[in-house]
Amino acid sequence: MVEILMSRRVAQIVCAVFGVLLFLLFFSNHPTAKAVTLTVTTQYWQVIAAFALIVGAVSFMRVNFKSMSRKQDAPFRAVGLLGMVAMPILALGWGIGGSSPFLWVFENIQAPMQSTVFALLAFFVASASLRGFRARSVPAAILLLAAVVMLLSRSWFESTTSNILMVTSDWLRNYPSMAARRAILIGIGLGSLTTSLRLIVGIERTWLGGNK
Amino acid sequence: MKKLESRHWAFLGLAVVVVATMLLNFEPKLDISPEAKRMHSFIDSLPAGSIVMVSFDHEASALPEIKPLALAFLRHAFSKGHRLVGIALMAEGTAVGYRLMDQAAAEYNKRYGVDYAFLGFQPQIIAAILSMGESIKQTFPRDYSGHEYDSLPMLREIRKLSDISAVVSIADGNLATHWIEYGRARFNVTVAAFVTAVMVTSYDPYVSSGQLRAMVGGLRGAAEYEKLIGIGGAGRRAMLAQAASHLYVLALILVGNVIYFASRARKGRG
Repeated sequence: MVEILMSRRVAQIVCAVFGVLLFLLFFSNHPTAKAVTLTVTTQYWQVIAAFALIVGAVSFMRVNFKSMSRKQDAPFRAVGLLGMVAMPILALGWGIGGSSPFLWVFENIQAPMQSTVFALLAFFVASASLRGFRARSVPAAILLLAAVVMLLSRSWFESTTSNILMVTSDWLRNYPSMAARRAILIGIGLGSLTTSLRLIVGIERTWLGGNK
Repeated sequence: MKKLESRHWAFLGLAVVVVATMLLNFEPKLDISPEAKRMHSFIDSLPAGSIVMVSFDHEASALPEIKPLALAFLRHAFSKGHRLVGIALMAEGTAVGYRLMDQAAAEYNKRYGVDYAFLGFQPQIIAAILSMGESIKQTFPRDYSGHEYDSLPMLREIRKLSDISAVVSIADGNLATHWIEYGRARFNVTVAAFVTAVMVTSYDPYVSSGQLRAMVGGLRGAAEYEKLIGIGGAGRRAMLAQAASHLYVLALILVGNVIYFASRARKGRG
């Protein structure tokens, strides 16, 4: 029995059934369809997400404990593990409301640290501007020119902005950039559609561990 | 001491430019972009008392850009008498949204449960949007502070997404596209977005097609919006620093290219 349940065929059938079901539910306004959608989205989907979270948490702990035992970046990993253990304790013990320790840690430790790391990108941009962003070829020169126009148009202030600069930057956004974006979005859409169909009909089996 | 390389000087220069311009505390005058005007008139066009859902779809890392955008929007919406329902579809947006809504509401003497409410976080973005289309109460049985859904007067009249006048996604990534693809496509809800500058071009096609009703992007967008609503904020204060750092980056590009072409010419001669 366990062997049957654990077999890949059962998993494939479950995937196909739910794939078709959710596809049909999306287009249906029938009350039963709506009730099923609600059950699937508020219960089944969330239960699966909770299990995925457990897998992520266990994996994070295993990787970090293993590295700590090998003395690889042990202090940093200890801080990561401490944060992972401390935050749920703070939330469960004192709540997540306005003056809770949980919110204090988030606002005064987590958010500033994350913002700092993100802000470091500015320094990478500065370094790349000096050492990498060069007009080595015609395409690179065009890209460079477009970047210069966009940066200048976003940096100028009232009555100092050249009309040509604004018109050029708008043209860049509305034509070449938009055309490229649309092409990418259509490509992503078609790719997602194809992959979904491959999953539903069972051609795509990498999520089950490959074609073995 | 290790000798400083060119990139270290570039880093140092950037830090000096940003700190010095922030210390100047000078707010330059700005031209208002059509995007900011469109968002402003859209929020203005909603009748007073309209229910607007604010979705905090971002991480804490984007806070310096997201916070001025969110505050400018919240202040505008509260000043027009709209009723706001806050949610978060990214975990880190939860605490940020909760704090910002409380801050803006206090400035306009808005009452919790009557003029605004914060429902908290719901994982699985697509599932959350689809289930809110059927029942917001079942998606969020309690608000962030643990109150029963029906115990808050303003929530009693909101059963599903179709009861909402508009959804405003405050996003640092592509989460607003889920609102367009599921919220708008499936339940016909009007979607607008405040996004980080780096995401603006990703949303341009949706604005162009009308699927995204309006969009404001980046710190510059926040500064323009602050000017439109006539309130000073972090966006306007940071404009000089942002413009100066942009010009600094342009100068670095120029210097890098001059060095590159000079060394190429030397090699050519040699």
